[in-house]
Amino acid sequence: MRARAETWGAWVRLDDPPALVALDRDGARALGLDLRVIHGGEPLEAHVAVTSQCGVGCEGCYLDARPDGAHVPRETLERTLDDLAARGVFTVAFGGGEPILRDDLGDLATSARARGLLPVVTTSGIGMTPAKARSLAPFAQVNVSYDGEGEVYRAVRAFPGAPSAERAMALLRDAGVPFGVNVVLTRQSFPSLESTLSRARSLGAREAQLLRYKPAGRAARLEYLDKRLSRDQVAALGDVVRRLSLEMQPLRLRIDCAMVALLSDVFYDRAAELEALGVFGCEAGRNLVALRADGREAPCSFLDPGAVLEGPCADCALSRVCRGGCRAVARFLTGHDGPDPECPRVVRRERETGRSEDQKRGD
Amino acid sequence: MSEEREKEIAEHVVAVREGHGANCSSIGSVIDTLFVAQAAAGALLVVVAAALAAAAPKKEEEKKS
Repeated sequence: MRARAETWGAWVRLDDPPALVALDRDGARALGLDLRVIHGGEPLEAHVAVTSQCGVGCEGCYLDARPDGAHVPRETLERTLDDLAARGVFTVAFGGGEPILRDDLGDLATSARARGLLPVVTTSGIGMTPAKARSLAPFAQVNVSYDGEGEVYRAVRAFPGAPSAERAMALLRDAGVPFGVNVVLTRQSFPSLESTLSRARSLGAREAQLLRYKPAGRAARLEYLDKRLSRDQVAALGDVVRRLSLEMQPLRLRIDCAMVALLSDVFYDRAAELEALGVFGCEAGRNLVALRADGREAPCSFLDPGAVLEGPCADCALSRVCRGGCRAVARFLTGHDGPDPECPRVVRRERETGRSEDQKRGD
Repeated sequence: MSEEREKEIAEHVVAVREGHGANCSSIGSVIDTLFVAQAAAGALLVVVAAALAAAAPKKEEEKKS
């Protein structure tokens, strides 16, 4: 267990069951927590790029990783871990580039744990070997990028990486390393979501995180409009997520912070339940910080360092959890930080006010 | 005593986000609890309160007993 005092109470990270818990001040006192040092305003989760090197060349790479990229020096990362621990961060998620290109990745996880940080990592799985999989045992969880089988995967990333991802999952399973999958939802991958999740579950994945496709890095170009979910798919998303949540057990289903706005029609009357379950929209610059391979700090992996966040959607009942949707999408499509122009409620309002984004969609 | 403490703690839980959150690009939240029976959320709270009570530093009076 790790705890951190806030002005309103305390955050507590539990390892078993794995959970992040918010307690009010009376609850924190009942737990016997020290409330004298307040960590207010510091992130809970840090996304740390450990390399900018990746030979795959996904066309939607949000960080524009390249084959000639470089690993972040180990000593730099050790200082970063010192800093994050001092700031009260709970979880450090290593990414890249391709993190498993580093030989010291497992050692970095051990270093993080020695500082009280919970280490997790995301990988494409390309280059995974039995020894590499075993070396990842210090991680609390490994997430493998897996958008679908065969051609579905290729349609999202423009290279045939599904067999490598499936092999990596099998190796992680054999090594006893807990793993999940990241599934990017695009117009091309959405129709196959059920079979994608079934396949991941059969290989031993315990979680699947559904990710909204975002126009950042190499994805920040006009092709975004053809890859994002269609309006009909967004309309169907709630029912699909609800059904698969039930049918895919014991695989746990997660959505990323950019998805809350897309589900606003389903969630609209359930803001209190969402809050109680810690389901929030944009976390950029709030509970989240991203550290790029060049050392710059950004509000999230998809926003440029120094981006200023605004508070849109003032009269929406869901805004306290949704927080205006995904800034990366809003900034690409509108030039502003919000509201999220793909939220069904925003779309309807803009239609009513004659400012519809229909002409841009190409649906 | 332990049950009482768990109950006391449960009353002050504001939010529970399940899982480790293992993605490196965006924060994720488990969503299935929202769609299963309402009892699941209550059961989750009980499990979390028990885990908190077990993991937290003991109160002075409990140490003495």
